[in-house]
Amino acid sequence: MSEATQTAGGVVPPAVEGIRLAKAFGGVQAVDSATFSARPGEVHALVGENGAGKSTLIKLLGGRLRPDAGEVRAAGRKVELHGADDAHALGIWTVFQELTLLPWMTVAENLLIRREPRGRLGLIDRDRMVGEADRVLTWLGIDHIDPRALIEDLSLAQRQMVEIARVIIQDPSTLLLDEPTSSLGEKEVAWLFELIQGLRADGKCIIFTSHRWNEITSIADRITIFRNGAEVGTFTEIDEDRAVTLMTGRQLEAFYPQPPARAHDRAVLEVEELAGEGLRNASLTLHASEILGVGGLAGHGHRELFFSLFGAQAHSGRIVVDGRPARIRSPRDAARLGMALVPEDRKTEGLLLPLSVRANLTLAVLPAVSSLGLIGGARERGLAQGMVDALKIRTPGLGNPVRQLSGGNQQKVLLGRWLLADSRILLLYDVTRGVDVATKHEIYELMMRLAGEGRALLYYSSDAEELAHLCHRVLVMREGRIAAELSAPGITAEDIVTAAVRESRAAD
Amino acid sequence: MPPIDTPAVPPDPTAAAGGRRPRRGKVTHFLGQNVGLVLALVMLVAAIVLYCAVYWAETQSLPGNFELTSTVNNTMPLVLAAIGQSFVVLTRGLDLSIGGTMDLANALAAVHIHDSPGSMVLWSVIVLAIGAGLGLVNGLLVGVGRLQPILATLATLSIYQGIAIKVLPQPGGSIPPVYTSVLVNPFQPYALLYVLLVALVWYAFRRSRIGVAIFAIGNDEQSARANGIDTVRARVTSFTLSGLFAGAAGLFLAATATAGDATTGNGFTLTSIVACVLGGMNLFGGRGSGIGVIAGAFVTTMIVNILFFSNIDPLYQSFYEGLFLVVAVVLSTAIGRFLRRSR
Amino acid sequence: MAKWNAALLQPLERAGLNRDRRRILYAFLAAILLFAVGEIVHPGFASPGSIGAIVMVASFVGLVAAGQTFVVLIGGIDLSVPWVLNGASILLVTSSLGQDDRAPWALLLTLGMGAAAGLVNGVAIAFLGVPAVVMTLAMNGIMEGLTLGLSGGLTCGACASYAPPVVADAVHGSLFGIPSALVLWLVVIALVSLLLSFTTFGRRTYATGNNPHASYLAGVNVRLITILLYVLSGLFAALAGILLVGFGGQASLGMGDPYLFQSIAAVVIGGVYMLGGRGHYLGVAAGAVTLVALVSVLLAMNMPDYGRNIIYGIVILLLLLLYGREEAED
Repeated sequence: MSEATQTAGGVVPPAVEGIRLAKAFGGVQAVDSATFSARPGEVHALVGENGAGKSTLIKLLGGRLRPDAGEVRAAGRKVELHGADDAHALGIWTVFQELTLLPWMTVAENLLIRREPRGRLGLIDRDRMVGEADRVLTWLGIDHIDPRALIEDLSLAQRQMVEIARVIIQDPSTLLLDEPTSSLGEKEVAWLFELIQGLRADGKCIIFTSHRWNEITSIADRITIFRNGAEVGTFTEIDEDRAVTLMTGRQLEAFYPQPPARAHDRAVLEVEELAGEGLRNASLTLHASEILGVGGLAGHGHRELFFSLFGAQAHSGRIVVDGRPARIRSPRDAARLGMALVPEDRKTEGLLLPLSVRANLTLAVLPAVSSLGLIGGARERGLAQGMVDALKIRTPGLGNPVRQLSGGNQQKVLLGRWLLADSRILLLYDVTRGVDVATKHEIYELMMRLAGEGRALLYYSSDAEELAHLCHRVLVMREGRIAAELSAPGITAEDIVTAAVRESRAAD
Repeated sequence: MPPIDTPAVPPDPTAAAGGRRPRRGKVTHFLGQNVGLVLALVMLVAAIVLYCAVYWAETQSLPGNFELTSTVNNTMPLVLAAIGQSFVVLTRGLDLSIGGTMDLANALAAVHIHDSPGSMVLWSVIVLAIGAGLGLVNGLLVGVGRLQPILATLATLSIYQGIAIKVLPQPGGSIPPVYTSVLVNPFQPYALLYVLLVALVWYAFRRSRIGVAIFAIGNDEQSARANGIDTVRARVTSFTLSGLFAGAAGLFLAATATAGDATTGNGFTLTSIVACVLGGMNLFGGRGSGIGVIAGAFVTTMIVNILFFSNIDPLYQSFYEGLFLVVAVVLSTAIGRFLRRSR
Repeated sequence: MAKWNAALLQPLERAGLNRDRRRILYAFLAAILLFAVGEIVHPGFASPGSIGAIVMVASFVGLVAAGQTFVVLIGGIDLSVPWVLNGASILLVTSSLGQDDRAPWALLLTLGMGAAAGLVNGVAIAFLGVPAVVMTLAMNGIMEGLTLGLSGGLTCGACASYAPPVVADAVHGSLFGIPSALVLWLVVIALVSLLLSFTTFGRRTYATGNNPHASYLAGVNVRLITILLYVLSGLFAALAGILLVGFGGQASLGMGDPYLFQSIAAVVIGGVYMLGGRGHYLGVAAGAVTLVALVSVLLAMNMPDYGRNIIYGIVILLLLLLYGREEAED
């Protein structure tokens, strides 16, 4: 990066800039005339809610997406990034939230892919490759990871570290990190920050996104806040309350609805010693009208907990529903007991995208709209239309493929499916992820209404802020166990993160 | 934390935080990560032992040079076809046109190869090139035309078979004895050298850039692309290699039969898949070993031999093959799952 | 090209012809086109008698393709069709010995055998996780071995028996002037369409085909659906075997072989999406007619065997590429 060399009085161009960038997916404007710039030798945090457009911006700067409008500049010059390779040639490297490791290949193969050491006949020298990988891992201080191990056999945190290591050894001049700490515990975060500080001292530009405020303030030189696809401002000093207000566009109290008072103290779901893959003796009790939050680092058993409760993963332990011991061996069993699971990835686990809104809504209640296996068209349409009205699902028609709906409305279709089935125990797994802010607010309101009706909600969110504000109680999971229980009032996001990262053994 | 210099000069590792965990040995890793290969080799040993047992029961002697030679010679076409298939299986696909390519190679060999060294070499090369070309067509249809491998190759199977019948409408033609004795010597198991050669080719493939790319798209195509791998080229290459090996398999088939037949290759589409499965290739791509596939090919032949010596009506042969295929798949899945869980 | 396509497609789209319906239309148009071409090459090709004969032959392909459609709708494939069909035809003649009074039991036994083969396929695929390609391939071998072994290579005493006259008569007979094989096919078309479009089973089939994991999480019994669909495929293959032996009188070895390629081809021409979740049997039925008409045209042109194979393959490829283009534009 010769242009960026600091000379006395010389102007240093920003390492990377986005000027009035815009990018839409389907009908949704993910990034809307956003301007952003980061300097060499600085750590620049990009904060905002889920769906504010941070990840899209990172992809635009990293060459993975082409902007609909606006331009990207590197070291002061306008650049056209046609793909990752173009960005790499400029020294811009990205660590994505969705890891890009190859699961059935070794750590060494992944670390050195496309730059493997070669020996005779131009063939890859595997022993040397392992040796080189070992040196890299040692040098980066993560030699607890075995270069010969398959990625598949690593923990999520370890995979994240390999992904980071892989980019670091490319000697990036600009490093983009999208949510690098979402699966990292205390020690691993310390490791990453030490690494980042080293890079900063070396004059590199580091841009990262995070949800954890104390992390952001501990390392960022500047903070840019994003809302609704555009920047709100860039700050060197800002307190959390003000930042949250800027991120959400309103006061905290106004943004998060108050959870309704719990009318009953009746336990509807009691779980004892639930164990299985990724789960170690998790116990919990969920009451009617309660919103019970579940938080913690990514990859610490939340998904396994939800899927086990819903019968979609083999498990042992005792589950009691409405005071009666229950055997839940499939989602059908769970649905019959009045349970519902709304998964995180609605496109691959929830909805049937090419099928109609109607078919998606009534999938779990087909027996109710049919006789002798024949579907009653009018009855089905009536039920579906009722739910579309009740949840204010914006769709051109009942017969339109659900693919055509916006993310938030898709999420509502999924919720509507289970409300039609009159489920009383709702397992909501990160349902606000990738949803725009307005719809997110609607989902919060809906959750409150459902709890007010006496339904019980088990609610996992990757956003600790949401958990802190929306839940009566929050369980923090760590390594497949319930590690801490926090009760309202007075839960803060910080409490949740602290409980989650404390004593994380994954770094050993 | 040491300052980050260029990665080429790692600083003193003692400054690194955290204790170094002792590495597991190379062999331990290899065994744990290549369960399919290990199972295939175990199966091969078991098949050989069983074969010797039924042979002994029948003849009161152990199989000798003749049996070894004929087994190796008979298995060579399958070894080549199955290795060809495995390149495509690695990418999560299947190549159903292998039988058609073999038919055409077989027919061309029978029609054109004459008893002169020039003709033998020239036509061998031409046939191999045609095989690779047919594979390239498949690869383009799948990689560039974005067709599903099963459908594209089902259609080209029909086309290639048609061309083969056009080339050699009736079984016939003849393969010069010299050609046969070079490829599949009927008296000595020299063909083992070819098996060794195939194993070496696999070894090199596994350590080549294109090999890594082909494995990578079987692992996760999106990630492979994110890593800068040209997935289209890798896919096209995998089909081209498949066609090349199918061409070679057709030559060996012609040499074994010493005459041409434009239909005998048909069955190899299926048996090549069987050999891949028995060899521990994962049909969902990205995992598997060519050495296992070679073993799988031999197991497939041994089953036939065993059935023969156990006095089982040869009419039941397909029944036992089918049954064995299912049992092998179910068992290897179960064992793989068990090993994963116990690790 | 894209623009041109869009200009052409928009009015169709407005007329309520979404992609799935368009494909059914294409399949019908292709059949009509082939009859027109046939009439030009070989006058009399499109005469009622000739069309009747072609549709009659197409009904056998269509029945097998019905089973194939079911499994393809969930992204599966049934490669065991040839020997389930062949086994069924031989089982019918050997169990009935050509006697009418044994016919009912023989029919039940034969259909039961088809269903059982499908059941084994389905259970292995749904519960043991065996890939459909491998399982049905193995089942084809198992059925081949059993059929050959038990009939001694079709040399058994009963193997030379004819189909029971009542079966043969039924196949050759007619109802209201329509050949009864055709009547049966029309009934099957109606039933299969009803099953897929208007029943909970059909809805769950499409759901499973679109996304088995999401369907499972929505409480669909994906395993049961999978098993039932393979059972249906086995049943239809056996039914086709019965009709074929009734039509031809005697069973022979290898009579099922053409039906694998043809059933898959009909499914492809009919516009069923091979990865599952989309498509309709009406299109497949038209696809079966198209396919048989194509063969007949080629025969009328004195096209030798090999030429037929080549043209078969090319037609399938062209259709696949055409549909693929459409897919990319959505």
